[in-house]
Amino acid sequence: MRRSPGVNLALAIGLAFLAIIALLPFWWVISSSIKATNEIVSTTPTMVPHSFTLEHFAKLLTSSDYPRFLLNSLAVSAASMAVTVVLAVLSGYAFFRLRFAGRDFLYRAILLAYAFPAIVVLVPLYGMMSAVRLIDNLFALVVINVTFAVPFAIWMMRAFLAAVPLEIEEAARLDGASRLTILRRIIVPLIAPGIASVGIFAFISSWTEYLFASVLIQSDANKTIPVGLAGIIGQYQVDWGLMLAGATITTLPVVVLFFFIGRYFVAGLTAGAIK
Amino acid sequence: MPRRLQRRAARREAVFAWTLVAPVILWLGATLVYPLVSSLTLSVENVRIIGSAGRFVGLDNYLSILSASAFWLALARSVVWVVGNAAIQTVLAMVSALILEQTFPGVRVARTWIVVTWIVPTIVIVIVWRWLLSTSGGMINPLLIALGLISQPVGFFSSATSAMTSLMLINSWRWFPFIAVMLLAGLQRIPNDLYEAAAIDGASRFARFRRITLPLLQPTLFVLTVIGTLLSFNVFDIVWLLTGGGPADATTTLPILIYRTAFKGYRLSEAAAMSVVATVLLMGLALLAVRTLAPGEEDR
Amino acid sequence: MLRRTLLTAGAVALALFAAGAAQADPVQIRLWHMEQPPQRVARVQQLIDEFNKANPDVVVKQEPQNWGEVYAKAPAAIAAGNAPDILFAIPDFTTVIKGLGALDSVKDFTDKLDKEHHFIPATLRPYAYDGGVWAVPLYNMAISTWYRKSVFAKAGLTPPQTWSEWKHDAEVLSKAGLYGAGLPANKHLYTDQTVYAVLVNDGAAELFNDDGSLRFNNPKTVEAYSFYKDLYKSSAPDATNWTWGEAEACFDSGKCGTVLQFTVISTYNAQGGDPADLGVVAVPHADGLKESNTISYSNAAMILAKDPAKRQAAEKFISFILEPTNYGRFLNMEPGLFLPVTEDGAKAASFWNDPLAVKYKAQIETMIANSEHGMLFGFTKDKVMSSIGAISAQNVIAETLQRIVTGGASPADAVAAGQKEMEAAAK
Repeated sequence: MRRSPGVNLALAIGLAFLAIIALLPFWWVISSSIKATNEIVSTTPTMVPHSFTLEHFAKLLTSSDYPRFLLNSLAVSAASMAVTVVLAVLSGYAFFRLRFAGRDFLYRAILLAYAFPAIVVLVPLYGMMSAVRLIDNLFALVVINVTFAVPFAIWMMRAFLAAVPLEIEEAARLDGASRLTILRRIIVPLIAPGIASVGIFAFISSWTEYLFASVLIQSDANKTIPVGLAGIIGQYQVDWGLMLAGATITTLPVVVLFFFIGRYFVAGLTAGAIK
Repeated sequence: MPRRLQRRAARREAVFAWTLVAPVILWLGATLVYPLVSSLTLSVENVRIIGSAGRFVGLDNYLSILSASAFWLALARSVVWVVGNAAIQTVLAMVSALILEQTFPGVRVARTWIVVTWIVPTIVIVIVWRWLLSTSGGMINPLLIALGLISQPVGFFSSATSAMTSLMLINSWRWFPFIAVMLLAGLQRIPNDLYEAAAIDGASRFARFRRITLPLLQPTLFVLTVIGTLLSFNVFDIVWLLTGGGPADATTTLPILIYRTAFKGYRLSEAAAMSVVATVLLMGLALLAVRTLAPGEEDR
Repeated sequence: MLRRTLLTAGAVALALFAAGAAQADPVQIRLWHMEQPPQRVARVQQLIDEFNKANPDVVVKQEPQNWGEVYAKAPAAIAAGNAPDILFAIPDFTTVIKGLGALDSVKDFTDKLDKEHHFIPATLRPYAYDGGVWAVPLYNMAISTWYRKSVFAKAGLTPPQTWSEWKHDAEVLSKAGLYGAGLPANKHLYTDQTVYAVLVNDGAAELFNDDGSLRFNNPKTVEAYSFYKDLYKSSAPDATNWTWGEAEACFDSGKCGTVLQFTVISTYNAQGGDPADLGVVAVPHADGLKESNTISYSNAAMILAKDPAKRQAAEKFISFILEPTNYGRFLNMEPGLFLPVTEDGAKAASFWNDPLAVKYKAQIETMIANSEHGMLFGFTKDKVMSSIGAISAQNVIAETLQRIVTGGASPADAVAAGQKEMEAAAK
């Protein structure tokens, strides 16, 4: 379809607008993290740095366990992602391709998981984790991350499964394949891009979780990035350089990660597209 | 197939299905249902500091919180918060999704970088905006002054309206890309031939949007709105870390009030009662929405 | 044959067991403190390493916590049975932990330490009530007024001693383009502190009557809030969001003419500030009074461990810190902020020899002098009301100020509402 130049202009402006609001703040943060302190707090802020220093990063890395926080976050997010994907694929298949009593009720009930304020879960969950000696244990975080990611992940499965024609399944059934085999050998490969998207969603959700991580983890060695960063920043002093360095070094890993796998996120979501 | 065999087959299907959903049910049961029951128990006792003992007091907590203005004010602020966020995010997400759907130079890579505000932890968002909006070194005040929009630096979190608005904008900024990508997926599932046929019939862009896009997008939009509303209502960390509920309680939404009552006011049972009421309200709202507006959730 | 084997095996086992028991596992001590800034954590670790080396039968481990979370985390940990063995505290936090029954009196221990090191009485007082002592004072902090001498000289001002002088100075500085008085108005502990620093300078230091009822709502309090409201006009527009850091940043960047702070020394120095230009005076007092007072926080260590071996080990560690050879280094984890709580600490070479202490000797001496007139809301009498914990945690003093400057209420109405809030929190 041909587009009028007016629409083209609108698109260009729109895209530029999106770039400005999404990216400019991060440019400011990253470019300022390498400025000297007096340039950061000067009354006339600069778009491009006039000074250059790596002291904020040096301070951040030498006086805190940042690499450790990164490792913990990676471990927790990867584990949460794996468990979420397995649970979502299995139950998604059941909800959207099989029939059983109470199916619709259960599906709605699961989506309602998001009606729970965190506080309802926080205190009793702390007690529960304590009883099974999981306080200060990263596995406790995996448990909670999966809980909050799974309902939406199941919903995401719906569209992916809808794109797989029923005939394929029926043909396999007629050939005598068991349901499990169908799921494993036929369905899963066909919705692989979608599974990638679910995985990325679960990973990011875990990566950014703060409240439970701050309460369930006690020692520095087990902190994840959000909690570790909050601790370094502290409230007593406003060391903008340190904070901006922390923000930069927390943003960069995910951005790099997304640079490589980001397209799979969107691609996976639209894999069922008929276009 | 004879009826008997049909029933057997159906039963086997059901059994298989149940084994698939059992893990999720158990998992969510342990991590959500148990805490809810636990909160219910807490709410009918008089526990103050976490860990101290309490005795059964019936509905006292419910009566006292429902008769205090603090609860209703917080609830009202939560409603404002949810509506404001929904409005801003839906508009931004819809516009973004429409732009990202087009073939245009720079759009394909935009689909990846658009989500940058979603993939960073909230603490980074907090640092970014606390710095940008501050009067010592922040970029926004000088920018606005340079553009001639204001003459003196302003405190974005200093008055009730500007604090709430700033928070809503920041929260929307953080979440709209994720919704945009979900909407984008929904948009791309709409067959192209529908648009082409309508274009041949002479329908304008706007008419195509109204008659084809919106109706077909509705199921996705609906679920995103419901889940989005629930999540929005329960947003805690961004408000807590940026304003702590201030100034003068102007941004004290219900989650903030509950947290404060539990951990700063040391009235755990009261907080539990508030959270039970909040949960019930939200569930009721969601159920109501689903019942009255659910479009063909049944089709598979 | 079998019997001999069994006997030998038994003897060997017994010998191993005895050997093992003789080298018993070292006592593990977990320390929670809220000094999270990296350089503080590093200094604490240094002292811990020295202690562990000198005391092989004890292993101390630190777990730095966040003040915003610890009010929730510590009680939760205590309830769940995984409380730390030592927990640093400020006086109102101690009342909360004591209320949970998690504390045993350490009076014997503090008496012993007092004989050795002589506690400054004002630092022990907030922890001595109800027939016991509930924490061991470790470091003191007090608020003073900070200014730049060159800025004042240029504007033709002298450091303020009274309220009218302070107001005048702030107005002159504001005309010169600065925020004359960098005061916060956040619902936050820092604002509680600055407001109280003003209250104590107007004879409104007492929150409670002798019988325990609240006397927040009184004419002097209203007068003090009125003054703060006036002075606040010279503050920054985003001060409703300020915590300690923002005020300090405002001062360091030269935008604020005066600030009320515990210290600005290390950040001021890190930015290349000139020690000769940094001025510090006591918080100005109301015109009718003769002397200045200030708010002071005696920070202490609570021993939560119940096991006698652990308590002993904890006491050993605390004694180690208070030794003059170590104490100075402990205090200087944040040079120019933490002040000594003991007399021999105040003279210790390890304190005064720190490079920053040498550079800013005059300022630190003034800070110590100011701290001698320090007091803390809720801990001004010999009887401590346990409700102070909730009142402090909910920042009622700060909230009252916000009602005035953001909510537009009159000081009299706001203070009356504040009194009601305190009474509700006290229930």
